[in-house]
Amino acid sequence: MTNPVTRDRRHFEDLTVGEIITLGHVTVTKQMIFDFAHEFDPLPFHIDEKAAKASLLGGLASSGWQTGALSLRMLVDSFLGNVASAGGLGFENLKWKNPFMVGDTIGGTVTIAELRRSTSHPQWGIVTLDFDIRNQKDKPVMTMRLANLVECREALA
Amino acid sequence: MTRWFEDIVIDEVFPLGSHTFSEEEIIRFAKLYDPQYFHVDPDQARHSHFGGLVASGWHTVSVGHRKMVDALFDEAERLRGLGQEPGVSGPSPGVNSMEFKVPVRPGDTVTYELIVTDKRPSNSLLGWGLLFNRLTARNQRDEIVYRAEIVGFSKLRDYRMPMKMKVLLALTSLPIIGPRLRRST
Repeated sequence: MTNPVTRDRRHFEDLTVGEIITLGHVTVTKQMIFDFAHEFDPLPFHIDEKAAKASLLGGLASSGWQTGALSLRMLVDSFLGNVASAGGLGFENLKWKNPFMVGDTIGGTVTIAELRRSTSHPQWGIVTLDFDIRNQKDKPVMTMRLANLVECREALA
Repeated sequence: MTRWFEDIVIDEVFPLGSHTFSEEEIIRFAKLYDPQYFHVDPDQARHSHFGGLVASGWHTVSVGHRKMVDALFDEAERLRGLGQEPGVSGPSPGVNSMEFKVPVRPGDTVTYELIVTDKRPSNSLLGWGLLFNRLTARNQRDEIVYRAEIVGFSKLRDYRMPMKMKVLLALTSLPIIGPRLRRST
């Protein structure tokens, strides 16, 4: 049973450990920070510039969850959108290293760290991806290891 | 907001409340942050193993964060009502693990719960403590949607700066010596 949506995309067999995906870039504006924070993270230092200056962050910065979401968006645009992805399993060791300040631009790389077949589902493989997100000054902003399911072209017998 | 580090009780269960996910908001979030076909297109999503539209994991987690923030505000309000000064929570340094278990579909209601499993004073940030939070999200069938181990900063109420640090800080504010000291530390 072939999935017509993912038929022509890269499958698990087409991926290689060590492959480096170069992400695009995204610049965060004040409006983007406020929009996300009002819906998901209305702490004073994400919705008020004065409170942000007085906080540990030292100025207006995106919610860490927004930084992660924007990084995920870059991965979908540069990689997952062209892969027979079957959804995320989760992530580990996410570290917010430096705040993503208003007006900053992030980009970075994602490296395929591991590839293994699922033992319980012969039609799937698991790709493990290491994120290295940096700002325009090449300072690290976020790292994490994400696990994602990918459809296999040939299910194991 | 919230309690002071010293007053946080290990393994106390904080119910954070529920959220019902509509198809409209699932698609709106995913179009911005996770535009994979099973998050944005109900017709195409039928071909996926999910069999229909599901929320981005990052969306259910962002809503869980909002629920936690609301609970911090409520706790601060409760303490003020008792005539006490609430504590201060800071940004998070990271997430040790996040496991997505069961997908969230339009109309599902997710209930969130927080437990602080451990705490200790921070080594890198003087005057602050680290909280190790376990956040669990369950759907209306009591299936686990996700489980996360999230680290958070919380301000110490009883922090006293050691004398050595006080002297050093006083010295760094002096002219001539100060800038040199600041460069070397």
